Amino acid sequence: MLRKEVNELLTQTDPGTPMGALFRQYWIPALLASELPEDDCAPVRVKLLGERLIAFRDSDGRYGLMDEFCAHRGVSLWFGRNEESGLRCPYHGWKYDVNGQCTEVPSEPDASGFCEKIKLRAYPLIKIGDVLWTHMGGKENRPPEPVWEFATVAPEQTFTSKRWQECNWLQAMEGGIDSSHVSFLHSGGLNTDPLFRGAKGNQYNLADKKPVFEVTETEGGLFIGARRNAEEGRHYWRITPWIMPSFTMVPPRGDHPQHGHFWVPIDDENCWAWSYDYHPTRALTGAERQAMRDGHGIHNEYVPGTFRPLQNKDNDYMMDREAQKRGDTFSGIKGIAMQDASLQESMGPICDRTKENLVSTDNGIIMARHRLRKAVTALRDKGTLPPGRNPEHQKVRSVAAVLEADKNYVEACRDALTAAPGKQRTSV
Amino acid sequence: MSGSHRPTLLSNCTLATTAAEARFRVEYPNSRTRSSRIFALDQRAAEAMYAITEDPWQGAHFLTVLANDDIEPEATEASQLPLAHPDGTPADLAVEIEGADVVVLISSSGRNAGAAEVVAREAYHRSIMTAGLALSDLNAGEKAEAAVNAMRPFASVLVVARDEEFIPAMLNALRA
Ligand code: FES
Ligand SMILES: [Fe+2]
Repeated sequence: MLRKEVNELLTQTDPGTPMGALFRQYWIPALLASELPEDDCAPVRVKLLGERLIAFRDSDGRYGLMDEFCAHRGVSLWFGRNEESGLRCPYHGWKYDVNGQCTEVPSEPDASGFCEKIKLRAYPLIKIGDVLWTHMGGKENRPPEPVWEFATVAPEQTFTSKRWQECNWLQAMEGGIDSSHVSFLHSGGLNTDPLFRGAKGNQYNLADKKPVFEVTETEGGLFIGARRNAEEGRHYWRITPWIMPSFTMVPPRGDHPQHGHFWVPIDDENCWAWSYDYHPTRALTGAERQAMRDGHGIHNEYVPGTFRPLQNKDNDYMMDREAQKRGDTFSGIKGIAMQDASLQESMGPICDRTKENLVSTDNGIIMARHRLRKAVTALRDKGTLPPGRNPEHQKVRSVAAVLEADKNYVEACRDALTAAPGKQRTSV
Repeated sequence: MSGSHRPTLLSNCTLATTAAEARFRVEYPNSRTRSSRIFALDQRAAEAMYAITEDPWQGAHFLTVLANDDIEPEATEASQLPLAHPDGTPADLAVEIEGADVVVLISSSGRNAGAAEVVAREAYHRSIMTAGLALSDLNAGEKAEAAVNAMRPFASVLVVARDEEFIPAMLNALRA
C-alpha cells in the first residue's frame, strides 16, 4: 500500500514535478538509432517526461532533440524540411540547428541578428549502441555518458527493441522487480520460447514454485535474489539487479542471450518499455536475432509501421481462452512481453496503490519504492544527486548460479554481478 | 524499423483502462486488518523499532528479545523466551504470536540467533509467514552478514536494508 500523496510523488514526471526532476538527472533512452537512419532523414516526434519534442539528424550526421513547435507561430516541426544542416519550418521558413538555435528568419534582414534571439529548448542526443540517449536536465549536472553493457558490447552481440505501453511507468517497472510472478504468469514460456528453452536452470524454476527472496540494497539500487532448491542441498539462485531509476536485468538461462528493460515515462499515462537482449562474450546467432525480431522472448510483434504492440487493449490482447484452459499460457495471452503489458495496463493508467495488499514477497517492490522516494525527496529538499548516474553503478550483470547452501548470494557472486568487457558470465 | 512510424499515441483505446473509467473503481475495502508481530533481536534494532512504535499502526505488536546469546532453541519453550514490550514489561511469546498474520525479525548484528529460531519455529507451527530484515550500512560488513546468516534458515523473505527508515516504509506497505 502507498498513500495517495506518495503514489502521486512517484508516478508524476512532467516538468516541475519532483519525480520528473529525478528522471532529468539521468541519460535515458529516447529513440532507437534506427528511427533516424541517415542524414537529413525524416524528423520523428518524441514525447518524454511530458514534453513534446522533435528528433532529427542533420546533413552532417549530428543528432538533435528539441521543442516540437516552431517559435514563430507554433507549427509542429514534424512537417519541417530537414536540409542543409538544419530543420526548416514549412510555414514561414524559420530554420533551427540541432541545438535548437534559430539560424534563419527569412522575413528579417540578415544583418538584423534577430534569429540569434530565437532558441528552442533542446537536449543532447547521443548514440551509444542501438540507442539514442538524452539528458533532459540542466547542463551543470550532466552525468557521465551511460556505460550499460548491452549498449557498449560490439553491435553483433546486442539487439534492442521498444514498445509503447499504455500505463504509468512505475507499475510497468515494478513488474521487472516482481520476481514472484514468473512462476505463474510466464510458466508456459520456459519450455517453448526459443530464447528460453533448454536451459538447465529452467528445471529448478519449474520444480520449486515457492522461491525464497532475498533483497539487498546496493549503492546504485538493489539486488533481488530468488533462491530455489537444487541438487544435494545446494541452491539455485537467480539474481536480478535494479539500478535507479528504472533499469532491470533478468537473470540469464543457459547460453541464451540475457535481457532486461528500461522504463521511460512518455507522460503519466504512457511509457516506453525498452527491451535489450545481448550476450557479453559472443555474437548473437542469426536464429536468435530473427527470433527477437519476430517478437519472441521479451520482444513483441507490432501493429505494422508503429511501436504499438500487435496485441493491445483494442483487441483484448488477442486473449485465447482455450490456450488458457489447456495451460499453454497461464493468462491466455501469448508472449512474455504482452503477458506483462496486458496485466499492467489492466491496472488502469495510473495504478491506485492505496488499494493494494502487499505481502512479504513484494519486498523488492517495497524497497525500490522506498529508494525512489528517498532519492526524490533528497534531490528536491537538498539538491542531492541520485544514485545510478555513476558509471560504476551501471556496470552490472544479472546472474544465475548454483551455490552451496551456506553461501551469501551477493558475496559469492560479487565478481559475476559486475560487468567487464569480455568477462565470462555466470549462468545455469 | 525505419524512420517512418505512424504517430501511434493518437490511436484510440478501449474504454476499460482509461483514466475516465478508472474513477469508477469501487470504493469498498478489499481487505481486513492484518496483524503483525515485529521482533527486535538486538539493541540497535530495538532503538530503530522504538522510534516508530507510536505511529498509528493497525494491529502491530512491537517486541524486543532481551539479550541472551545462550538460548538453546530446542530446550526453550515459547513462554520461556525472554521478551519485552516497548515499555519494558515482560511479554509472553505464546500469547503475543496468537492471531498474527506475519512475523518480522529485525537484526543488525546476528546476536540472539537462538531466540530468532524460537520465534520462527513458533511462527512456522502456526503457518505464519516470517520475514527477516537485516539493518546494514556501508561499513556494516561482517555484522550485516552475521545478521543475515542468523535469520536465513527461518525467513521466507530476507531484506538487507541500509537505513532504518525502511522499517516504517515496509510496515506501511504491508498495512501492519
Ligand atoms: S495475484 Fe497478484 S495482482 Fe492478482
Ligand atoms: Fe514478467
